[in-house]
Amino acid sequence: MNEFVDECRREWRRLGVPDPIANEMTADLTADIEEAESEGGTAEDVLGNSAFDPRRFAGSWAVARGVTAPPAPPTPTSPTRWWPALAFGLMGCAALLALAAAVLVGGHQTSASAVSVRRFVGGPTSIHVVPGSPIVLQHFQHFPGIALFAVLMLLLGIAGIGIAVFYGFRWNGGRIGPWEIRRHHGRSGAHWT
Amino acid sequence: MAVMTEGPAYGYEMTKRLRARGLSTVGEGSIYPLLGRLERDGLVETRRAASNGGPPRKYYSLSPAGERALETGRREWQLARDAVDGALDLVKAEVGP
Repeated sequence: MNEFVDECRREWRRLGVPDPIANEMTADLTADIEEAESEGGTAEDVLGNSAFDPRRFAGSWAVARGVTAPPAPPTPTSPTRWWPALAFGLMGCAALLALAAAVLVGGHQTSASAVSVRRFVGGPTSIHVVPGSPIVLQHFQHFPGIALFAVLMLLLGIAGIGIAVFYGFRWNGGRIGPWEIRRHHGRSGAHWT
Repeated sequence: MAVMTEGPAYGYEMTKRLRARGLSTVGEGSIYPLLGRLERDGLVETRRAASNGGPPRKYYSLSPAGERALETGRREWQLARDAVDGALDLVKAEVGP
């Protein structure tokens, strides 16, 4: 029997199509493909693009004949499922804001300390300190509490936003924006689009 | 359904009739689910008969309900076609010499 028909037969068995109907469809399909081949054609002449996707073809035929139920529509997403994404996202943003505040406060204090030092040694009274610069990091060494807080906030922020993205991705039904990750089963194997 | 008015036909035979009228993409592959749906809806009648030297085939022909549905579809198609033709004639008149 044709490989395509074999695959259809397996799919009908999997879908629970009654044997007499599956036998009838198998016989019709086999006879049509054999006729096309006897005329010098191929299964593609009978089936078109469906020749490359026997499972889909078999499923749609069985559904059309009313011998199996159509595939269930995607489960509607519960409206409460977006809450985790929002909650973790807010937590991550709050943590990153706290981190930024800690860096700014640390930088301000370092700037003030630097101005005092310059006044004492007679240097310029103005110095620009960029938060996150080595001066600020050095300052953190003198204030381990702020450094620990900043590291914790950084980790919390990254974790919160990461979990929010994960939940958001799941809530969006596996779609990233307008794109969707789906798995197809074709003759050439599974592939992603 | 219209190609069935030429006489009862099995799946691949209908594909060939459609292809002869330049409608190959309609027939290929989609003909089997389509015939299944028509059969389920009672728009075609079927009988199994021997083909020319080949195995018995399932022949499809229009049922009375199918003939009425075909007539309705034909009228709707003509109305739609006339409307589109009318719109295209307007375009032709605007861009014509």
